Amino acid sequence: MSITTDHSLLQNCPVPMALLDEDFSFIDFSEEWLRQFNLSKAIKGKSIFDCMPELPEELKLDVNYCLEGLDQRSDVQRILSKNGNAVWYEWKISPSKTEDGDVNGVILILEDVTEKKFKESFYLKSQEVARIGAWEVDLIKNTVFWSKITKEIHEVPQDYVPDIEKGISFYKEGKSRETISRLVKDCIEQGQPWDTELQIVTANGKDVWVKAIGEPEILNGKCIRINGTFQDIDKRKRAELQYSEVSDRLALATKTAGIGIWEFDIPNNEVFWDANMYKLYGIGESDFTGVIEEWEAFLFEEDLKMANLAYKDALNGIKEFETIYRIKWPNGEVRWIKSEATVLKNEEGIPVKMVGVNDDITELKNTQLELVQSEESLQGAFENSSVGMALVAMNGKFIQVNQSLCKSLGYTEEELLKLTFQDITHPDDLEIDLSMLHEVIDGKRSTYQIEKRYFGKSGQLVHVFLTVTSVRKINGELSHFISQIVDISSRIKAENKLKGLLQVTTNQNNSLINFAHIVSHNLRSHAANLTMITGFLVEDELSEDEQVATLGMLERASGGLNETIAHLNEVVQVKLETDKKLKVIPLGNTVEKVLKDVAALIHENQVHVSVDVPQEHQVKAVIAYAESIILNLVTNAIKYRDPAKAAVVSITSTMEGEFVVMKVSDNGLGIDMDKYGEKLFGMYKTFHRNKDARGIGLFITKNQIESMGGSIKVTSEVGKGTTFKVKFSKG
Amino acid sequence: MNPIQKTFIVDDDPIHQFGMKRMMSRLAFSKEILVFRDGQEAIDAVLDLLNAEEQLPSMIFLDLNMPIKDGWGFLDDFVKIPHHNREKVTIYVVSSSINPSDMEKAKQYEVVGNYIIKPINEEVLKEILAENLYQ
Repeated sequence: MSITTDHSLLQNCPVPMALLDEDFSFIDFSEEWLRQFNLSKAIKGKSIFDCMPELPEELKLDVNYCLEGLDQRSDVQRILSKNGNAVWYEWKISPSKTEDGDVNGVILILEDVTEKKFKESFYLKSQEVARIGAWEVDLIKNTVFWSKITKEIHEVPQDYVPDIEKGISFYKEGKSRETISRLVKDCIEQGQPWDTELQIVTANGKDVWVKAIGEPEILNGKCIRINGTFQDIDKRKRAELQYSEVSDRLALATKTAGIGIWEFDIPNNEVFWDANMYKLYGIGESDFTGVIEEWEAFLFEEDLKMANLAYKDALNGIKEFETIYRIKWPNGEVRWIKSEATVLKNEEGIPVKMVGVNDDITELKNTQLELVQSEESLQGAFENSSVGMALVAMNGKFIQVNQSLCKSLGYTEEELLKLTFQDITHPDDLEIDLSMLHEVIDGKRSTYQIEKRYFGKSGQLVHVFLTVTSVRKINGELSHFISQIVDISSRIKAENKLKGLLQVTTNQNNSLINFAHIVSHNLRSHAANLTMITGFLVEDELSEDEQVATLGMLERASGGLNETIAHLNEVVQVKLETDKKLKVIPLGNTVEKVLKDVAALIHENQVHVSVDVPQEHQVKAVIAYAESIILNLVTNAIKYRDPAKAAVVSITSTMEGEFVVMKVSDNGLGIDMDKYGEKLFGMYKTFHRNKDARGIGLFITKNQIESMGGSIKVTSEVGKGTTFKVKFSKG
Repeated sequence: MNPIQKTFIVDDDPIHQFGMKRMMSRLAFSKEILVFRDGQEAIDAVLDLLNAEEQLPSMIFLDLNMPIKDGWGFLDDFVKIPHHNREKVTIYVVSSSINPSDMEKAKQYEVVGNYIIKPINEEVLKEILAENLYQ
């Protein structure tokens, strides 16, 4: 017999259900079946395995078993569909029997339980991952059930059999155990559920934080069972505790350090300040309503610009927000604030929030400013000092020099910085300088002072008074030296000039002593003659001839005395009056005038005179002396000419530094310098038996020259000639 | 009777020459008196006498300040003459210089018997003569 019906019996069945005949063909099915497997009514009469080829072999076997008379089959199978999806099917199969008990088909309930199955496995998995165990207390049977995870959390073996007391005793003595006892009691007595976080001590003695949830089951107003979960939250709890500890500490730290914390909600333009922020801005909490413009109003205008730039840069990710600005407290006080912040962005990368800190750095800033000022003033002192100053490296290289030093040495700063002090130190002064420096390096002294000489850029000697001080790093190591260099060149020059003057004075004193002796000698010689002759005259034994001769002698002696006094007077005049009469005169003109005066003498003796005195050679001289000097030298040259030769006299002049040097040379008799060199310029010294030799000319000449700040020297060779070299001060 | 055979006067001053000669002749100081105007003339004469192996003067009255060669120059040349040839010669420096350094310098010469400050007079010459006679 077969079941044939047009009317579907199963149509409205809420589960996917189908009736198959012995050939697996659909006889009837529910709407739910069609919907679940996405089929149409056209499947009627067709084989299920043709219409739904994805069904597993196991289902076919179970259908066959039922057709063969087995009572009921059910199973859950995971199958892979054609498109690769895993699908779970749960089926229940019962044979459909005729009235006489023959099997003529099967009733099949087939459900796609993929989702349910997935949820279930996910749940289990997640419970395992989250370390959530389950438990149950049956208050009627007085039994306790712990799931696998619960046992694991307690670190007891899987065959462990818990009871209520044991369960409670796992909670840590003290607060945890007291709490759980109370909660359990409340639950049993009042039906109150619990959800708490407590500490247990595991079987291995480990402290573990757990989250315990208990739900009572009430029957007839009495709690008969408690179900619950038991979760290992140790890691989270510890992190949480640590976090709260850290954040407590942070709060304490920021409060103590006066650091304010702020948040800026960018889209909403809202500012949140912690308590410290108000203190930093010198206001009370009620004075700030949390809009950014209020904050801006505190800032100095130029600082706000900078802060806004920093803000933009931070938003654009160019650099972290870090800026320093000044704020004005309501009471007018100005404070320096350092602000640092981090920008938080949403998933789209749009900045939504800034979190940052404010720190009052006024004290620091003031100290910094003071430091900068003191550095600036030090730098200024260094730069503008009239004393030469330099920072010198350990190897002697100039690190920094001031203008004063550059000026003294004639180097530019750039040039000096390429040099070492050794490069420009006079070699004779280097040794002492270096040995002192080494004493400093060896720590025997911290400073030294010496007088030394440098070579300036153009090779000139620069006399300095040098003070060297060592500078040490914080760790005590030598860092560099500070040299203070006082240029004493002008002092040395003045000193030398003074020495020169002293020499002149000494010379003058000596010449005065000599002069005194000369005077005494010359006057005495005449006086002696007069005494002697007078002695003869007073004797009465003189013959008439003798008397006449004696009187003649007397006349000569007094004449000689007169002449000598005149000479001495001349010399004294030279010594006394020179300074007042010094004038700048052209040497050439004077030479010319003298030669004109003695033209007759020159002509008479047929002397050839050549003159080479440039017009520009001007001398500082007393005109009368200059003429007298030249006259004396020229007439001497003529007087002591060699009669065997044609007389030649040449007068030339050259420049030698501060002097004009005039040379008067002749080819005359010459002077034996070995014998007479020292006495040549003495008074009444003559070296020739010449009728005009008076021994006064060169003495006066020398005196005149020296009184005008010049000097005279002679070179001569007997038979060859004589050259007088006269130095005049340049005009 | 007078043992002084030969005396030199070396001085450029004609008045001094005149005076010395007159005083000496009155005292019959020396058989022979020779006068020289400067040191050069005098030393030349001394050398001439030596060359001629004639007797050197017993006394030389020497001025210091003279042209050509002064008294010092003469002394320097004179002391170069071997000692045995000049041991009997006494030199008297006669100068108007009262400069102590001149006197000191003159004493350095062994040959200088005395330093006489001008003007010289007969008493001094008598003393010198007496000294010589005593010797």
